Amino acid sequence: MTTRISLTVGPVLYYWPRRTLLDFYADVADSAADTVVLGEVVCARRHEMRHDDWLALARELAACGKEVVLASQVLLESDADLRGMRRLAQQDAFRVEAGDASALRALAGRPFVLGPHINIYSEPALREHARLGAVRWVAPVELGLDALAQINPPQAPVQGGPAADTPIATEVFAFGRLPLAFSARCFTARHLHLNKDECAFRCIEHPDGLQLNTGDGTPFLALNGIQTQSAAQHCLIGDAAALRRAGVSRARLSPGAHHFGTVIDLFERVYNGDADAHDAAATLAALSLPGGLVNGFAHRRAGLERPPA
Amino acid sequence: MTSSPAASHVASPRPPRLVCPAGSLRALTLAIDAGADAVYIGLKDATNARNFAGLNFDIAQAREGIAHAHALGREVLMALNTFADAHAPQRWWRAVDAAAGLGVDALICADTAVLAYARDHHPQLRLHLSVQASATTWEAIEFYRERYGIRRAVLPRVLTLAQVEQLCRHSSVEIEVFGFGSLCVMVEGRCALSSYVTGQSPNTAGVCSPPSAVRWTDGADGVDARLNGVLIDRYAPDEARGYPTLCKGRFDVEGTRDYALEEPTSLNTLSLLPRLTAMGVAAIKIEGRQRSPAYVEQVTRVWRAAIDACAAQPARFSVQPQWTTTLGRWSEGQQHTLGAYDRPWR
Amino acid sequence: MTPSATPSHRVLPPLPPVLRELVARLPVHPPSHLLALALERVLRPRLPADAAARLAGHAVDIEVRDFGLRCRVTLRDGHFRSAPASGPATLRIAADAASYLRLLRGDDDADRLFFERALVMEGDTEYGLLLKNTLDAIGPLLHWPLRRA
Repeated sequence: MTTRISLTVGPVLYYWPRRTLLDFYADVADSAADTVVLGEVVCARRHEMRHDDWLALARELAACGKEVVLASQVLLESDADLRGMRRLAQQDAFRVEAGDASALRALAGRPFVLGPHINIYSEPALREHARLGAVRWVAPVELGLDALAQINPPQAPVQGGPAADTPIATEVFAFGRLPLAFSARCFTARHLHLNKDECAFRCIEHPDGLQLNTGDGTPFLALNGIQTQSAAQHCLIGDAAALRRAGVSRARLSPGAHHFGTVIDLFERVYNGDADAHDAAATLAALSLPGGLVNGFAHRRAGLERPPA
Repeated sequence: MTSSPAASHVASPRPPRLVCPAGSLRALTLAIDAGADAVYIGLKDATNARNFAGLNFDIAQAREGIAHAHALGREVLMALNTFADAHAPQRWWRAVDAAAGLGVDALICADTAVLAYARDHHPQLRLHLSVQASATTWEAIEFYRERYGIRRAVLPRVLTLAQVEQLCRHSSVEIEVFGFGSLCVMVEGRCALSSYVTGQSPNTAGVCSPPSAVRWTDGADGVDARLNGVLIDRYAPDEARGYPTLCKGRFDVEGTRDYALEEPTSLNTLSLLPRLTAMGVAAIKIEGRQRSPAYVEQVTRVWRAAIDACAAQPARFSVQPQWTTTLGRWSEGQQHTLGAYDRPWR
Repeated sequence: MTPSATPSHRVLPPLPPVLRELVARLPVHPPSHLLALALERVLRPRLPADAAARLAGHAVDIEVRDFGLRCRVTLRDGHFRSAPASGPATLRIAADAASYLRLLRGDDDADRLFFERALVMEGDTEYGLLLKNTLDAIGPLLHWPLRRA
């Protein structure tokens, strides 16, 4: 019997209307997902959900048996951003996923999750963060699975937690448009010739981001406010064995606007059931999610490379 | 250490130190002779974020450069600002040992593993936090100070002037900001665009849009610049070309072809010098280790003159037209912008 | 092809001996051969061994646009030589004589000329950057006019 690969629903990276978001999480509550990460990690201006709304939602999902993690914003610039981060760090009902070094400072001494934008590229670096109390590590997206096994060895995982006695769990970004970069500039507003501070929250019109094509018409990136993503969906559904060999015990599925319930279901049946990965990949491909499927990063190649057919 | 809380209301704060790039011994010598207070250099390998063929220093060259700088009372900082590779972190430790052995005045690091190694094995070595560490708040900087004893932090090029000021007020370490050079529109240290396209990124290999992945192809409509096969830009036959850095390409969004992320422009903060000085910025960094010694020399000369003029009479400081002309000559895209400091797009 | 004497050429100081010697041989020797001779004399003694090893074995086209001149050279067995005109070159560099002169004297940088399209580089970009960085590190190859003490 193989060990379960727990499924984490990553934070919704896009700006969705409140109703859409609540409906989405109602479906997640009924899904096979083990963990749900909540919070606005991209843009502090987005306001459909306030701090208390997230907490209320967190309590509801917890009542449905989900582990809930609250994620802190990735790019902090202003004092207000810092205050928002501290408010998350000060509550102790839910675990927090650190988005930057300010959050690391605020969370030190408590069990917490290392988000994918904390730069950990070697075992000594993971040890540095384990000393702070980290109990789970979401690996940077550009790392190959071979590197994950070096950084947090499956036979001898790095020990974290406040008492340094909790083996750190490795989580990998397993599905969705890849969060590749952050900027102070809002690219959605730039495209619409709007100032960032008067953006009219137009990113709400693009529930999967705004697709950017190369000059010859190939889908390339997706603009999501200050975040730049891959146009393609990173998809490791065929890599379960490699994940287990690399010591990965958790897979992050990053929400998209369509068919996300199917995505969770397929991953559950392939990773933790006996469904065929090829069939599942074909089903995913047939869903016509924007951008097609890639998995190059996992195999130490360019991220946009596609799995062999 | 500069005490920043007082800086905002002190009449004549210390002028910022001028930190200049050197991709070769020749560039180092010219920068020092042109008036740089410090130069920053890297070793010839992936331990620094400008890992390009033919660039950077071997140990003998570094030793010679440091001797030249120290003879004139200037400093040499060594950039060790990539992230130690999971498969061979020892290479980064050896580079730290080498830097310490050479007697560099500070190491510029981003990786907590490298910072920890330096702190534990070379406690006398001064540490600066690299821009690649993406510390954008005083709390983030405080994290690195408390744990690794950093003495200076280089700010990512994403903050507004007001945010820099706020940060200077709270920071208990020196603050270094970018003054001139090509612009990174993404937060440094948090950009995987290059590895998405080519498999190599600043964090993993010390390169962005590596030249080995660049291909120029002549077509009927002009010249295509591709990065690992991805069309980054297409130039009309007589159109000026740029290096195909992927965030500076022209792309199509909803039927509009444009520089969707960033135009090829350069940062130039000369006019901000009095304000940067008043807020207590400890050092100003010039970008361009990959540029020629001629660029380094001329840009250094202008900034030396400007900092000296500002220090002498801050209230009467004005940007001299010949400074602007010279800096304009060396800018990518020939445009000046205050970048995020001003945020025309805010 | 020899340049016509324009006013700007007339105000330039006399050619240094090494160039004068080469120009004097122009009609007899093909330009590639002369360029190889010049590189052999001016560049090779200053070329670090590691750079030489990495640059060796590739043909480079160098075009002086305003002179209508095209040369092809290579570094082989430790020496600069003219290279056969057949087949593609690893790198093609094209610029006007004045731009080359500024580069050789260390007055300008290749990036700047490239941004302004005064210098064209085509082919293997990595090789081009290796060449550029190597030459930058060596410093000016030409001191002309000579500085008076």
